[in-house]
Amino acid sequence: MGRRRRSRSTSTTTTTTTTTTSSMGGGGMDGGGGGGGGMGSACYVYPVNNASVPPLVSNPDVVIQRGIDMNIPMTMDDGRTVTMWGFSDTAGGGGMGGGGMGSATFPSAPIRVRQGQICHTRLNVGMMMFHTIHHHGIEPEYRSDGVGHLSWDVNGTYTYQWRPAHAGTYFYHCHTNTVLHAEMGMYGALIVDPPSGPGRAFEGGPSYDLEAIWAVDEIDSSWHRLGWDAGTCGGDVGLNDLNPDYFVISGVDGAQSALTHQAVAVTMSRGQRLLVRYICAGYLPQTIHFGGLTAQVVASDGRPLPRSIQVTQLDAVSAERYDCIIQPTRRGVHTIEIDIKHWVTGAVLGTARTRITVV
Amino acid sequence: MKRRLFLKAGAASFSGAMLGSAGLISWVPRSYAATVQQTFYINEGFVRQPDGVNVYFRGYSSSSNGLSVPGEHMIVQEGDTVRITIVNNLGTSHSFKIDGLVDSGQIRGGSSRTISFTPTKAGSYLYYDSLNAPYNRVTGLHGGFAVMPQGSSNRLYANSPTFKIQKFWIFNEIDPAWNNSVRNRRTPSSAFKPRYFTINGLSGRPPGAPGNGDPAIDSMHDHRSALHGHVGDRTLIRMLNPGMAKHSVHTHANHMEWLTRNGQIRPDIWKKDVVPLDGNKGVTDVIFPFEAPPDAWPRTSVGKYPMHLHDEMTQTAGGGLYMFGAMTDIFFE
Repeated sequence: MGRRRRSRSTSTTTTTTTTTTSSMGGGGMDGGGGGGGGMGSACYVYPVNNASVPPLVSNPDVVIQRGIDMNIPMTMDDGRTVTMWGFSDTAGGGGMGGGGMGSATFPSAPIRVRQGQICHTRLNVGMMMFHTIHHHGIEPEYRSDGVGHLSWDVNGTYTYQWRPAHAGTYFYHCHTNTVLHAEMGMYGALIVDPPSGPGRAFEGGPSYDLEAIWAVDEIDSSWHRLGWDAGTCGGDVGLNDLNPDYFVISGVDGAQSALTHQAVAVTMSRGQRLLVRYICAGYLPQTIHFGGLTAQVVASDGRPLPRSIQVTQLDAVSAERYDCIIQPTRRGVHTIEIDIKHWVTGAVLGTARTRITVV
Repeated sequence: MKRRLFLKAGAASFSGAMLGSAGLISWVPRSYAATVQQTFYINEGFVRQPDGVNVYFRGYSSSSNGLSVPGEHMIVQEGDTVRITIVNNLGTSHSFKIDGLVDSGQIRGGSSRTISFTPTKAGSYLYYDSLNAPYNRVTGLHGGFAVMPQGSSNRLYANSPTFKIQKFWIFNEIDPAWNNSVRNRRTPSSAFKPRYFTINGLSGRPPGAPGNGDPAIDSMHDHRSALHGHVGDRTLIRMLNPGMAKHSVHTHANHMEWLTRNGQIRPDIWKKDVVPLDGNKGVTDVIFPFEAPPDAWPRTSVGKYPMHLHDEMTQTAGGGLYMFGAMTDIFFE
């Protein structure tokens, strides 16, 4: 996430996916199962019901593989280290420890597919815990939606099957004890390119020369001492009360680092067209200020707008996505500021900053 | 002069709204203006929350001795005469207000007042107690009010996209400390820190939890909140927020058609899987289109999906208990 890509020099989008012809027919579950109604001290988690698992096609166009990493240290600009959780990219066996473990990043590795491809997301949860993957904004069959109480949570391996009908910006996140797991960082960008591949926001939509993915999030480090099942059986563990102390852009501290970090900050030439995929990845309302630049908003939540709008700032609430084309005509340095606001008072709790440098 | 007819809101009528415990199912338009009558009783009581804590509320009840939070939804038609009697059974002053339509002014404890008004602008409205703001409103004195375009059964406003079914989703957050202060006739002294989150007065009870499946307790199965439909059963959802917090309303299975925000018709209809709902009386209208989930493979037209607020603190109760918050389910049948 946050990786910029020069679309004209990019011929493939499968850096985080693998194409396979292996058979997965006869169900998406090949392990795990979980305990009856819970595991360990957890409550209200729902093991896979193998008898109800739908069959999968045997020849998906794309297979995405994800494991679980519950120990991702993130060093903040103030020197403190905060533990994040995430999905490891286990494609090709890399990072697999045989138990769903593996080294992940925060945010998790992007998923990038093309409109119309039949996709399998294979999740391996090998530890004594449950997780899911919900492809946010993707609207699949309900057993591929990753919502525990309506299908199941995953312990072992489970494969979600989906076929995106609309190009655009999405994200994926865990939907088990979501309030905690998503805040802990269990999310990543999900980009659906048009059938022609990267370079256009959507079929027939505007072209772009380079791209930035800004997933803006707030972190309450006091939550980061909790276990995966915290609060599920009751008891006050404070999950109603988010008091963020860090504000990040695509996993980079927005206090200082994101101003220059190559995964977030943009350097572009005059006349080039930048596509900013802005994801409100936190829970609190945000306002993004484009630092004196004008952004043409062409799509939101994976759907083109009937008419694009021109903005210099934009409000967003949790999980909204906005696709913004920026085409500067003058040299300059523009500081992009994203204010994260209190959900009741509207007071600015913190600001994450990055930069667009036009040369 | 148009013929007038007296209707009593709250009762299924041959030509009026079907209101009641099952919620608003359909609306039969009239070619004439009517007088719609309703009586609300301002009562108090306690509601048991998912973690077992009893929390004090006040509400506009349709019966003299009940507690209803929110009050029963009302639906009328442009040009109707709306006559509402408020009976204040409590010892404190309260009011009944709909911004832009009517304000009862102060109704002293133990007294009653009848107000009459004629709404002329179709749309979704919040009725609420404007006194001791925002405390009385947040403590439960609120409800939904809809004005249909004259002669229309299937539009939010003239020329709006059409729908078949309509629902109210009234969200609220509860800080028991505030409610307790209202009970004790004190002004809350602490910052608002909600511990419970509701849709139409209820919270989720996931499978395996006591009360799961009981529409009187479980917001996932409350027929006022849960969406049931076949492909094509386009459902208008009038989202109202008497609470304090700004929310993110997220549906699975379909993007929503976002029609209005805070009474303003949007210049274009955007298709969104998340829409904002402002705090402090925010209003957002959407249509959930009940289209076959577009990314299912193989294609399907049945299934069950959630609606939840994506500011996920709202999915908790008492500081934990994920899934016991402001959520409901969507059933493709």
